[in-house]
Amino acid sequence: MLTLLNLEFRKLFGTRSVRLALLVTLLLPLLWTFAPRLDKLFAPGQAADLISGWQLPFISIFMSIQFLLPLFIAVMAAEMIGAEVAHGTLAPLLLRPVDRTKVILSKLIVAVTYPFVLVLTTLLGSLIAGVPLGFGTFNGGTGFDGGNLVGVGVLSSQAAFTEVLRGTLLAGVSLMPIAALALLFGILYLNTAAAALATFATLIVMRLLVVLPQALQPILLTSYFDLFMRAQQGGVGKDLILLLIYTAGFGLLSILAFDRRDV
Amino acid sequence: MRGLYKKYGSNAVLEDVNLTVKPGEVYALTGPNGAGKTSLIRTMTGLAFPSDGEVRLLGRDVHTDGQRARAYLGAVVEAPAKFYPQFTGTQNLQIHANLSAMAPGGRRITRDRIREVLALLELTRMADRRVGEYSLGQRQRLGVASAMLAEPKVLILDEPTSGLDPLGIGLIHRIVTSLATSGCAVVLSTHHLREIATYAHTVGILTGGRLVDTVDLRSRQAAYRFRVDDPVGAAAVLERLPFVRRVSTRTPYAIAHLGGESRVPDALAHLHTEGIRVFEASPDHFDLYEYYRERVEQA
Repeated sequence: MLTLLNLEFRKLFGTRSVRLALLVTLLLPLLWTFAPRLDKLFAPGQAADLISGWQLPFISIFMSIQFLLPLFIAVMAAEMIGAEVAHGTLAPLLLRPVDRTKVILSKLIVAVTYPFVLVLTTLLGSLIAGVPLGFGTFNGGTGFDGGNLVGVGVLSSQAAFTEVLRGTLLAGVSLMPIAALALLFGILYLNTAAAALATFATLIVMRLLVVLPQALQPILLTSYFDLFMRAQQGGVGKDLILLLIYTAGFGLLSILAFDRRDV
Repeated sequence: MRGLYKKYGSNAVLEDVNLTVKPGEVYALTGPNGAGKTSLIRTMTGLAFPSDGEVRLLGRDVHTDGQRARAYLGAVVEAPAKFYPQFTGTQNLQIHANLSAMAPGGRRITRDRIREVLALLELTRMADRRVGEYSLGQRQRLGVASAMLAEPKVLILDEPTSGLDPLGIGLIHRIVTSLATSGCAVVLSTHHLREIATYAHTVGILTGGRLVDTVDLRSRQAAYRFRVDDPVGAAAVLERLPFVRRVSTRTPYAIAHLGGESRVPDALAHLHTEGIRVFEASPDHFDLYEYYRERVEQA
């Protein structure tokens, strides 16, 4: 299994789309420090001038979690199967005495790790961009508490760091099912473009389903894209479990679909 | 392989294919484009699943016990063979070596073995270059290197000489023959009939998804032809000889299956004794191409 994981990680960081995603997520946060109309994104009373480097990670994740990160994740996970089929490298892999379940499991592990790689790169880029603002104790909020940058008083740098880290990791968890879903579509279509498109179309349809009754909202993956903003509100445990169930469910379907799939 | 069927929807691409390859045998699979050769090779290696029937490699079902069945399999199912272009030849083979070691009870393949197969396929010079820089022929040779890396007992190659120059083709022939001599069962698909007639033991002709004929080349290559003044008379003389198994005529030749080259002088002596004038004696090579053409047209 370690052999397969090692191979998948090597392939992941050799992929052009992944390198592009890493570059974008690292550099994009620099933009927010120069954005004069940033306050337009927030509800009245929640926005403030950026006064600390600890506020930039929230801004960066908030700006990219709706479209950019899901897009990068969907393309990468779809590519894990689609590109191998297109390049003809999946067949030689399966001609070796390896268990198909392990092949997909290793791909799944790498796919669900990728959202964390992207949010952590975003965090790193944000922290670099935040250097001129400093990382000391400040009077305001990190934004991870319901998008509130005004805060409720003085926030120590240690408390801010904890909030930022927790929010970043929650953002990663909320994106995990997308990776698993794109992998499933990759197996069903054996084509990168079709799988990425199907994943993104699914997310858009889910977004449109916001018009459905409130009771149905918890089943929509898109309802959890703001999970990182609820870090301080408590009660995210149930949401996390649901997201993990989604990820495991899509993963299990991927394993079943691949088990007797002609390659 | 027993009673193999493969259907895509209502379209049958393989119908009741039965095939057995013994250790040390080179089995060449041929047929027109679209006959089902690639589907058959993909199914026999476990990449595709049959609609019905079973495929066993060394007694293990390749579709239900794939990991064990493929433990001694070496295969290239695409021409040219495909590798990760961003890695070097050595790195690609190392990946395959690591994967081969995942077989139950699989042993580690050493770097020396990787160097050995690269040298055997004349790729030492290219070993540390990225596969993206390889020519088609070099990729194809790397494919064969990868297939023989784990010292397989079953070797399956789809168009192994595709894209190779004459020297490369000769190299692959020597390697395949050598592996077969050491007891490896070899299955390969090809369109180059005259080329494989020189080293394959059996040829399976696949057309329309059915294995319409299996030709045992070994039994057909012990024939000798005698250009004589009286082919019918010569055939009658030859037929009386105890070591002659089968006789036919193809004017101006009398053709006899002698069982070996050492019988030719005896046959010539008897023909001379019976007053038959012999102008020429030579091996009567079986024309696989002509035979194949006839069979495909009949099918």
